[in-house]
Amino acid sequence: MAFDQNFSGAADDFPALLRRKGLLASTGANLLPQVGTPQKTWQPTEATTILAFKFSGGVLVAGDRRATAGNTVVYDRADKVLEIDRHSIMAIAGVPATAWEMARVLEHSFQYFRRTQLQEMSVDGKVRALSKLLRDNFGFVMQGIGVVVPIFATYDFHPKPEARLYFYDAMGAQFEVTDYAATGSGSPAVRGILYYENNWGSKPLKELEEDEAVSIALRALDTAAESDTSTGGVDRSGKIYPLIKIVSREGITTLPEGKIAAVFKETVA
Amino acid sequence: MIEEPYRWVEAIANRREYIESQLAPGSPIAALGYRDGILFVTLGQMRQKIFEIYDRIAMGAIGHPGDIERLRMAAIELASTEGFTRSATDVSLRRLVHYSLSPVMKSAFEQIYGPPYLARMLFAEVGEKPEEDLFLRVEYDGEIASNGATYAQARQDFAALSGTQQSRELMETFLANQHAPDANLETAFNSALDAWSIGHMTLKNSDTKELPEHAAVRTHRQERLANAGIEAALLERDASRAIRYRLLPDNELRPLIRD
Repeated sequence: MAFDQNFSGAADDFPALLRRKGLLASTGANLLPQVGTPQKTWQPTEATTILAFKFSGGVLVAGDRRATAGNTVVYDRADKVLEIDRHSIMAIAGVPATAWEMARVLEHSFQYFRRTQLQEMSVDGKVRALSKLLRDNFGFVMQGIGVVVPIFATYDFHPKPEARLYFYDAMGAQFEVTDYAATGSGSPAVRGILYYENNWGSKPLKELEEDEAVSIALRALDTAAESDTSTGGVDRSGKIYPLIKIVSREGITTLPEGKIAAVFKETVA
Repeated sequence: MIEEPYRWVEAIANRREYIESQLAPGSPIAALGYRDGILFVTLGQMRQKIFEIYDRIAMGAIGHPGDIERLRMAAIELASTEGFTRSATDVSLRRLVHYSLSPVMKSAFEQIYGPPYLARMLFAEVGEKPEEDLFLRVEYDGEIASNGATYAQARQDFAALSGTQQSRELMETFLANQHAPDANLETAFNSALDAWSIGHMTLKNSDTKELPEHAAVRTHRQERLANAGIEAALLERDASRAIRYRLLPDNELRPLIRD
């Protein structure tokens, strides 16, 4: 641990501090394809399914557990729904190495801001922080290595207490949604289901009770897995269930596997 | 002129005297390890004096706000980069203070053409058990005093910081008699208030060697509490949460005061 005597003040954000100390790769902007050189067609690979929607108890975020490399399944217990702080979740579709690194940077950024500035970072600030990381990563995306397309769910206490939900594109544009978001290769099917449920289901998504919400999330992931080979859905023989977390005023709850299994048995299987 | 060793010693002595006189009015801070964590308490300051450094580390400081700020930022930077590149459990207060802060403060103090750090700091790191709590006091010249958690000596589950050595030693004498590490929050908080009052009362009259009378402490404490806000923070022992630091607002503490 070296002590930097020329410390200049608090203007740095955490990624800038890491770069100053040589602990984080440069932004990748210099890796953009040069003008005049033959360009590869950019093939986004986001082999997974992540979904999130608001319900009566906050925001539910669910992700399948499969990790793939090409058409090989390499891991069937991947965690793609990551806790960033006590009220924020980042769920990821894309290249795990980049995504987990981003989650780590983000987690430390929020803490670093609070500790140095002596106040909590605003929700808008947190949303922008993720956006900036995505934009910095875009050079790698253009090279076809390291695309990440996340969903960000958090609880805002100002100006009025409410759950907030955002999705991003690979360049870092953020979109706030009122009802639901889905990302990854299996997301078209999920988006269809959530749109249908929200408009013509027994009740709109935001009025669902917890068990009903879990049931819809499981059905949606199972549907996505039906046609998308990169989505694990529910592994009935291996008893591997999707990871489901809920963001509410009280913080983040990870649903125990037993509970998910019970809802699955009753309403899905 | 300071090329001569004697001049250098004299210059250092002058500098020490100057810094001590600058720090002398610094209002005390008491830090007590208790059953559920470590409690930092001070009273009625114009600016914040207790800070979060990392998941399990907090700091209290007196001195010049500019210097405190530089040291605080440096400590947060070091802890955060260490926690990011390795893991949160690899961030250790002992290493932070012994290998990073202390050497820099010592050389700043001894390079007499440059400015020293006008600050005195008290760090604490909460352990899984009270026996594992670590308290380190760092002086402007890089001197480190520990609560004995790292070496084989009688350890204390508390530490104090004050403007004068006199005042700090009286606080420590009081806490050594009064404080037990298995105390609950209410008891620890009241001991901390008493220790603060003793430290505050004895700041001005530097020849007091005895602890003030119990009744006098009570009166002083009541007077100060009526006119000042309580600044307090906790490092919680509860391992279910990564971040243990929590500010304790004045209104949460007032009901715990026992007269």
